[in-house]
Amino acid sequence: MTARQQQGNDRAGGPDEATVDQPDAPLVAVERLETHFPIRKGLLRRQVGTVRAVDGVSFAIPRGQTLGLVGESGCGKTTVGRSLLRLVEPTDGTIRFAGREIRTQRRGELRALRRRMQIVFQDPYGSLNPRMKVRSILEEGLVIHGMGDRATRLERMAAAVERTGLAAAALDRYPHEFSGGQRQRIAIARAVVLEPEFLVLDEPVSALDVSIQAQVINLLAELRQELGLTYLFISHDLSVVEYLADQVAVMYLGRIVESAPVLQLCRQPLHPYTQALFSAVPSVEPSRRRRRIVLTGDVPSPSRPPCGCRFHPRCPLAEAVCREVDPPQVDLAGHRVHCHVAGRELERSGSDPVAASAAIQAAITAATAGASGPCSDA
Amino acid sequence: MTAAPLLAIDNLVTAFKTPAGRLPAVDGVSFTIDRGRTLGLVGESGCGKSVTAMSILRLVANPGQIESGSIRLTVDGESLELTSLPERRLRQIRGGRIGMIFQEPMTSLNPVFTVGDQIAEVVRLHRRAGRAEARARALEMLRLVRVADPEQRLDAYPHQLSGGMRQRVMIAMALACEPDLVIADEPTTALDVTIQAQILELLDDLRRRLGTAILLITHDLGVVAETCDDVAVMYAGRIVERASAAELFRRPRHPYTIGLLAARPDADRRGGGPLETIPGMVPPPQAFPDGCRFHPRCRHARQPQCAAEVPPLRELSSGHVVSCHFAEEIRP
Repeated sequence: MTARQQQGNDRAGGPDEATVDQPDAPLVAVERLETHFPIRKGLLRRQVGTVRAVDGVSFAIPRGQTLGLVGESGCGKTTVGRSLLRLVEPTDGTIRFAGREIRTQRRGELRALRRRMQIVFQDPYGSLNPRMKVRSILEEGLVIHGMGDRATRLERMAAAVERTGLAAAALDRYPHEFSGGQRQRIAIARAVVLEPEFLVLDEPVSALDVSIQAQVINLLAELRQELGLTYLFISHDLSVVEYLADQVAVMYLGRIVESAPVLQLCRQPLHPYTQALFSAVPSVEPSRRRRRIVLTGDVPSPSRPPCGCRFHPRCPLAEAVCREVDPPQVDLAGHRVHCHVAGRELERSGSDPVAASAAIQAAITAATAGASGPCSDA
Repeated sequence: MTAAPLLAIDNLVTAFKTPAGRLPAVDGVSFTIDRGRTLGLVGESGCGKSVTAMSILRLVANPGQIESGSIRLTVDGESLELTSLPERRLRQIRGGRIGMIFQEPMTSLNPVFTVGDQIAEVVRLHRRAGRAEARARALEMLRLVRVADPEQRLDAYPHQLSGGMRQRVMIAMALACEPDLVIADEPTTALDVTIQAQILELLDDLRRRLGTAILLITHDLGVVAETCDDVAVMYAGRIVERASAAELFRRPRHPYTIGLLAARPDADRRGGGPLETIPGMVPPPQAFPDGCRFHPRCRHARQPQCAAEVPPLRELSSGHVVSCHFAEEIRP
């Protein structure tokens, strides 16, 4: 164990037990989470580099709430979701679920916790074993967690598939007999049959057509209400997140650059990246259409993140300080942002996020006016 | 002569003959595209929008076949019937008069040739250009689609480029011979929103500068609203509604279009109860219902008409055509 990891564990030790039974403590609390992957090369598989997929991410999700985690491909949002369940091993940081430190749990304890936290994946074709009947897919978890005997298991499974909008007869069929939307319902049934408290939803509707997507979104909203579930909703589709989430965190290159209550984030974005992201979403409502901010270039590789602010090579407002100094977090009544320029604008406007957001948008408009520069790979 | 649209598709039927029977993926589709205009062809998976595009270039894979209908391309005052044009002539049209951009730039570029060679190949085929001339044109094209360091990129292989960059290369290939029409099949679906914004802006800029018409095939109504002049909505192999983009999004008339628009989530719909949904799912071609194909999912459907009679495309107002028996009575 490295010194850094040791330190992380010590940090977790203190408040860990104290928060176990506090009902108002967040159900999920993540602090300075880091998940790095080694890049190995050559015959000896020597490590030649590190992909810093998640590089210092902190957030908390209160019970019954939904946190939307948005960002573009490669920003690390999926790795965050998997790290929470320890489907990939985090490198550093703390993850507390219901007050317990996930990273230090032993096998048996972790298994017990995993029943309470489930995951639904993006691809309903890849995430269901084609050789297993729906019954076996659902029963596997129940057996592993020792939930009920044969008869009660069947009852639970029938209730779960019916609750997700399928007929109980679906249990005796194979995944290929279902459409994409129905398969996603099966994946959701597999998660909720274990009566979890927390669901990681990793792009659960991205592979679905619009008319089917709305059905599944409604189902997720109903289940949250009825079962009192807490969601981490990971998506690149901002409109879905706007509709479902209470709080939204925007990730860029392994970090959260801005987080805020949903309406605050989409109506008064402060970070230039959030501004660009929301302006890029095409909308059918002319009133919601903003002046599109077209960023130049692509996201740099997470194995070689830029110095200072990670967004600076693409930021229309980047200044000298952005190239050198990692921006500190500016906290404004639940609206957190990591940006030198946004921090200054907030100060100038007397901590008025509406004025600051408008000022930043105006500055970006001025900086990008007429400039359609060449696009370059990092 | 000047009145003839660039492309006129009339009553196109493309079907796949399979052991399970004849599957009419495209079943009587008609539309026109004028020079320099952008038409959005929208619909969900399996509605036949991609098969329509492939039919235009006669690239429908076996056992698919164009069974009837006409596809007329009018260039230089000459009207060509693409459904019956000899293969040799058609090859001059593909890539020469009509460029094509696909969804997945990684699989549609050849991994063993440099991007410069691939763009140059198009030029050499259609322009009878020499090596040096073709390479110069490829460089010019990379500049046009705003690839940084185009001299170096010319010798790069597709895997060395990012997704957005590959799509720029695809666009460069499609536009290398200054085609009259570009067919873009979900050109930004595999890309992130900020990269999508770059590509859509680029396409629009090139259309304005070069006067190329675009047939944009997409499932994303937002993309259509922001980039297209006209829209055709497809459902189960047929066009159910056609109008200018401004008109369609202001006054959608077909229950399917209305349903699609209402099913879109966003912040403004929060707290307003569940999202509107269209019950059921898109039927596969072997199970297309009789009459109006949307009737089993339509809440306005009335019997016996909707289940028995195919609703004709009717012009409700200038340029706005709808295929619904009761379009006049439906309010969004």
